[in-house]
Amino acid sequence: MKLARPARRTPPETIIALIDVVFFLLVFFMLVGRMDATAPFDVLPPVAQTGADMPGGGVTISVSADGVMALDGVVRARADVLLALAARLAEAPDTLVRLNADRAVPLRHVLPLAAEIEALGAREVVLVLTPGGG
Amino acid sequence: MQITRPKGPRATISLVAMIDVLMILLVFFMVTSTYLDLDMVPLAGADGAAAEANPPETGPDPLPARLLVRLGSDGAGYVRGRALEATALSAMVAGRLAETPALEVLVLPSGQADVQALATLMDALVAGGATRLRLIRLEGQP
Repeated sequence: MKLARPARRTPPETIIALIDVVFFLLVFFMLVGRMDATAPFDVLPPVAQTGADMPGGGVTISVSADGVMALDGVVRARADVLLALAARLAEAPDTLVRLNADRAVPLRHVLPLAAEIEALGAREVVLVLTPGGG
Repeated sequence: MQITRPKGPRATISLVAMIDVLMILLVFFMVTSTYLDLDMVPLAGADGAAAEANPPETGPDPLPARLLVRLGSDGAGYVRGRALEATALSAMVAGRLAETPALEVLVLPSGQADVQALATLMDALVAGGATRLRLIRLEGQP
């Protein structure tokens, strides 16, 4: 006599593995990416070999190739940028101020700005670079 | 008399909703993050002023040796009125540093030169071994 085994139901796909994978991807992208405000126009930072790793946080001032400025992703006039920055620095003088200037912008748009930001009381004003070249 | 109902199986929490939330978070972080590897170089700040207030000992010579490099509007580096290529500039700085290790390199940028020219010039100076590098301040609005 042949004993017929009861037909087993195929087990459902374990969804736990999928959750694990998605969770690891999530953590990976959170760690690798930076949540900086990007400029509303194209900015190509100058290429240089010298430079230190940039820490997160702080304020970013972007300067486009034709001298248009943006503070944390919002286009502003130069005077408005300095006013807003003065308010920020009055609250937190340790704020890192990043100058994200396009590589083609003349220095007269950048260096006097850095000097004025320093006069506002900024402890650290840095120029953003793209590593490489040479 | 109280009739006890037979207990049904415990309701399981659906994991599908959690996966949906995770997926949306994943897409959010993928889209909003920037993945550019950027470096920085200090331009101004109180750190530089503090370093200036307490200059390092330069030995018996009270005046620190200085080398002035002018960044012309054409993007070239000029030393004593002579335009120097990047490699020549590096070699010159290396030679001067061999004589006076405490050499301070001052860069006088032209307002017409672009930011890339400044970065390239600083690269050339650092390649020559310059560690004390200063940028002369430009005043005035564009």
